[in-house]
Amino acid sequence: MKRRPLTMMRKNILILNKIILPLILLSLTACATSSGTYYHDPNMDFAAVKTVAVMPFNNFSRDTLAADRVRDVFINMLLSTGEIYVLPTGEVTRGVVLMGVTNPATPSAEEIVKLASLIKVDAVITGAVNEYEIIRSGTTSANIISLNLQMIEARTGKVVWTASSTKGGVSALDRLFGGGGKPMNDVTEKAVNDILNKFFK
Amino acid sequence: MIFSINFLNKAFILFFAGLFCLSGCARINKPVAALILTKNPDAGINTFHIAVLPVQNLSGAAAPVKDIRQSLIDNFKKQGCNIIEEEILERFMARHRVRYTGGIDGVTAQSLKEETMVGAVLITSLELYDDKYPQKISLTSRLVSTGDKPTILWMDSIGIAGDDSPGILGLGLIKDPHALQEKALQLLTRSFTCPPSERHDRIDTRMGKKEFWPKISYLSPVMASGTTYTVTVTPFLNESERKNAGEIMALHFIRALREHENFNVIEPGIVREELLGLRVIMEDGVSLANASLVLGTLNADLVISGRVLDYQDYQGAEGSPKVDFSVVVIERKSQEIIWASKSYNQGDDSVFFFDRGKINTAHTMASKMVRNVVERMSK
Repeated sequence: MKRRPLTMMRKNILILNKIILPLILLSLTACATSSGTYYHDPNMDFAAVKTVAVMPFNNFSRDTLAADRVRDVFINMLLSTGEIYVLPTGEVTRGVVLMGVTNPATPSAEEIVKLASLIKVDAVITGAVNEYEIIRSGTTSANIISLNLQMIEARTGKVVWTASSTKGGVSALDRLFGGGGKPMNDVTEKAVNDILNKFFK
Repeated sequence: MIFSINFLNKAFILFFAGLFCLSGCARINKPVAALILTKNPDAGINTFHIAVLPVQNLSGAAAPVKDIRQSLIDNFKKQGCNIIEEEILERFMARHRVRYTGGIDGVTAQSLKEETMVGAVLITSLELYDDKYPQKISLTSRLVSTGDKPTILWMDSIGIAGDDSPGILGLGLIKDPHALQEKALQLLTRSFTCPPSERHDRIDTRMGKKEFWPKISYLSPVMASGTTYTVTVTPFLNESERKNAGEIMALHFIRALREHENFNVIEPGIVREELLGLRVIMEDGVSLANASLVLGTLNADLVISGRVLDYQDYQGAEGSPKVDFSVVVIERKSQEIIWASKSYNQGDDSVFFFDRGKINTAHTMASKMVRNVVERMSK
């Protein structure tokens, strides 16, 4: 059977199907939200954790207030679950000052054990805000947040849970229809919610 | 034909509607004493001799505070209040070295009563003064009784912008800063005799729109509904770029809490004096030890504190205010957080089209947000 010679139009459609469309799809996923990873210590009884202290977060973003903003949202969201009681931040700071913890965002295992016994908590949560900014892709821009948290058992100073999440960024819809993405507070809430889902799994 | 039956009917309806609205403020000419004394029977007969303290400037910028104070005095005089002479107040303040005008402590209030026979002190805090178009002004006033236990007798605040009600063809725009200031002070002083619920002349900050509800909240079962709590409000931790946002937010809470029968709010001047006396430093919010100390000394049940992350007003015609804060309430007996919430909003959150529903001052928005927090907290 004789093959029909390819017309210019058909050639263009083939190029579109085989090369351009996959490229578009690939570029659309470039800044998409990632759900992150998590770890649960299989030997830890998480139901025994009733009171926690949330330490100040490390801030690796350009916004100087990012860590405080995210910590604020995290504390409120954790409290609002009604499952875990979070110690007031003032009380945590009092403990940090009394114990002379040099870097409250990254305390050592010994410091955590001592601090937890002083302020009477079952676990200590530390964390870091890696990204908290507006990203641009072409003419589109959107807010993005990336954070990771870990829970350290008060008795042993051992990491029993870690989780990370990245939310926001330029989505396919933003690229197609424009728009500046969601407000930073909404993105933060989403990321924290994602982290909490990983904790209560 | 103009004088048709239809037109006359409309005129009658409008006339009676106007009368109905005016009747809402029927108490305006009633003696102010009745209102105050019903709230505070121990205030004494000299309640109507009021000392107007110099205006506390929390705006973080230069503002005509003397002019504002004089207008305030004139407006209160129109409402039937007796304001003590300037010289008497100045002599008293110099004698007692009173420098802080954002509140009054027990000792000063007692001395003021004994030495000048003043029944109450009017304390005013200027939150915002922007004389560039569109002009904006926000202020909070409260009347505090004198004597050894100063109590807040009345409190209200207002935040207005020149372009709040532009009207058709911009006829409603106020471009003169002095006119806007006068309007703000008149509305504020009118609330002294006419309760806010009966007024139809200003933006309603009590509306329970969902946009202004706290975004995240926690209510402990320890908080009992129907119980009356004595509350201490400490200045919020200010992490915003706005100067004095911590004090401003505390004033918003004091005003909103006062409107609820469930809460007795301690005069912030007394709280400040105690915090200074106890040398309490709140580095990152209230610690349990500090809360216990303050609540014990003031014999209060709840301490309210929090942090302000944003309190932004905008300059010029374009923009929208932004407010972001979190609040924590610690109870004395349980030594626990019984309420925690996070609120954030922008002035155009309620806008659907053509700037309708836009809020122009951070003050008005914060008032709505705080009222919603208190509303939910008291439930």
